[in-house]
Amino acid sequence: MSNAIDQTRRMLSLVTYLRERPGARVSDVARAFGVTEAELIGDLNVLPLCGTSFRGGDLLDIDTDGERIWWHNPGTADDVAQPLRLAADEATALLVAARAVADLPGLRDSDRQALLRACAKLEDAAGEVAAGSAQLSVTFESEGSVFATVDRAITERRRLWMRYYSPARDALTEREVDPIRLFAVGHTYVEGWCRLSEDRRTFRLDRVAEIRLLDAPSDPPRIEPRDLSQGLVQPAGDDPEVIVEVGPGGRWVAEYYPHDRAEELPDGGLRITLRTPDPGALRRLALRLGRDGRIVAPPALAAQARDAAVAALAAYGE
Amino acid sequence: MAIAKAERLMNLALCLMNTRRPVSKRELRASIEAYHEVTSDEAFNRMFERDKDDLRELGLVIDTVESLDGEYGYLARSDRNRLPDIALDPEEAAALGLVAKVWQQARLAEAASGALQKLRAAGVPYEDPSGVLEPRIPAPEPAFEPLMLATRERRAVAFDYRKASAARPEPRVVEPWALECWRGHWYLAGYDRDRGAVRVFRLSRITGRVRTARGAFTAPVPDHVDVRETVARWAGEGVTSVTARIRLRRDSGYPLRARAVTTTPVDADWDELEVPYGHGLDAWLAEFGPDVLVLAPEELRADVLDRLRAVAKG
Repeated sequence: MSNAIDQTRRMLSLVTYLRERPGARVSDVARAFGVTEAELIGDLNVLPLCGTSFRGGDLLDIDTDGERIWWHNPGTADDVAQPLRLAADEATALLVAARAVADLPGLRDSDRQALLRACAKLEDAAGEVAAGSAQLSVTFESEGSVFATVDRAITERRRLWMRYYSPARDALTEREVDPIRLFAVGHTYVEGWCRLSEDRRTFRLDRVAEIRLLDAPSDPPRIEPRDLSQGLVQPAGDDPEVIVEVGPGGRWVAEYYPHDRAEELPDGGLRITLRTPDPGALRRLALRLGRDGRIVAPPALAAQARDAAVAALAAYGE
Repeated sequence: MAIAKAERLMNLALCLMNTRRPVSKRELRASIEAYHEVTSDEAFNRMFERDKDDLRELGLVIDTVESLDGEYGYLARSDRNRLPDIALDPEEAAALGLVAKVWQQARLAEAASGALQKLRAAGVPYEDPSGVLEPRIPAPEPAFEPLMLATRERRAVAFDYRKASAARPEPRVVEPWALECWRGHWYLAGYDRDRGAVRVFRLSRITGRVRTARGAFTAPVPDHVDVRETVARWAGEGVTSVTARIRLRRDSGYPLRARAVTTTPVDADWDELEVPYGHGLDAWLAEFGPDVLVLAPEELRADVLDRLRAVAKG
């Protein structure tokens, strides 16, 4: 259920939209407004309660049989049915996002041009409220040539071959992947079906060392795309639990690693409990932290980090 | 049952839009049914002010006019509220359909849908956003929205900020200039009044509420603020001409190899690399444990050794 401001905003646009389109289909209007038919019907139930003038009398006479929408007194509402200018938030939301996507390395030139043309027209139409959008900017990191290759593979439904770097194992592996979609959240990723692991995998484009388009057709099984709204890393409940204690200099760990708990320690540090499908990757974290933190549990993981440090020191003659 | 707020706002908007002369608060109170439910003048005045603010937030320009007898009247003039003609071709319309779904921050996500609704009402065609790309801009930091508004309105702000390695937050008073999202994290650039200098803040390190601070901006706002360059330098990714020499075990450390200036094989197991030496390189090299040996400079070697010794002690 949307809040009152958003519903009001939508209903004001609906009035304009419906006046221009007598007999509009409920399904078409719902699609154009990005709402469910039930939400649209909810709006249509409110509109006839709205007067068009402080002098009283005329209410908006809009009704629906559930399939089409009719407006019986459109002549009464010239001033209330004109298209409305954009608010500062609205112009900012579209312009900042459009500029960010247009800057994405590897985007098709035709898409980039369409975005830039749309931006220019929006800036004109928005007028002075467009100015605030200059104070916000977003960068998506992407590898242009890798992006372009993946984009082509998805469009042409072809399989990809790649050499991919796994930081957890510090190794490159060769994989064949049936790509499903590209998404960008800070970095840019390709989600696809990995033929090596026969499972769904997400690959970060800047970790692709080499990529080639194969002639084989891409044939990923039908899977629900991952829900990105909950963050990229979604530890499962049965992943092993790791406890890391950090000093003040290691507090950044809580910002970078999704965790279950972060308890304050008396020295200004944190005791962080997290779950990960691959605790070995945290060996790297322990080595990076140095005196700023250590792995408390599981003990085997703490020992691995210690052994790695001892082996490294041996090369320096210690 | 009380009349829903959306119905009240809608009635107020329509009354203000469909008049050629300013309408007084008294007239509005008399004609809008929802206001009849409010009996005290004080409660009505509060509600009316909030309603006007809400309508302004969604873009309605409401003029306030004082009449000869000192009473205030309000109207939303149609010439000031009409969207200028905008004609988008199908590619442009599809492009906007895609970007309207990018925001994951509630206020801007709703604003983007609202903008698209206004544009569609104005005749912009509905196009299925084609393409295979799904960009997303998250902004889960609670400080994002108040800072966005303060930046737009050029209001100084006060907040508690915990520096990366500090145990406790410290109060800051900042004139906010720009917000930038890089690698999924939001940063604020602005003038720090107590330090008398430009500073960059990571929003996730702001603790507690963002409050409005007194006084107009005291420092000139630059035309261009490069937040990313500052942050990238801290991440050790700025342009640097200084390099370090390391030994790296064959087949390991691909990202180091990708950035190396030179790579020379030493023997069957090891390569020697020259890599850019920026902030944070010591921590990164320590991650590779026994697969990296730092040769020079001495200071970097000492930093890596320090980390390794701490871990070896357990």
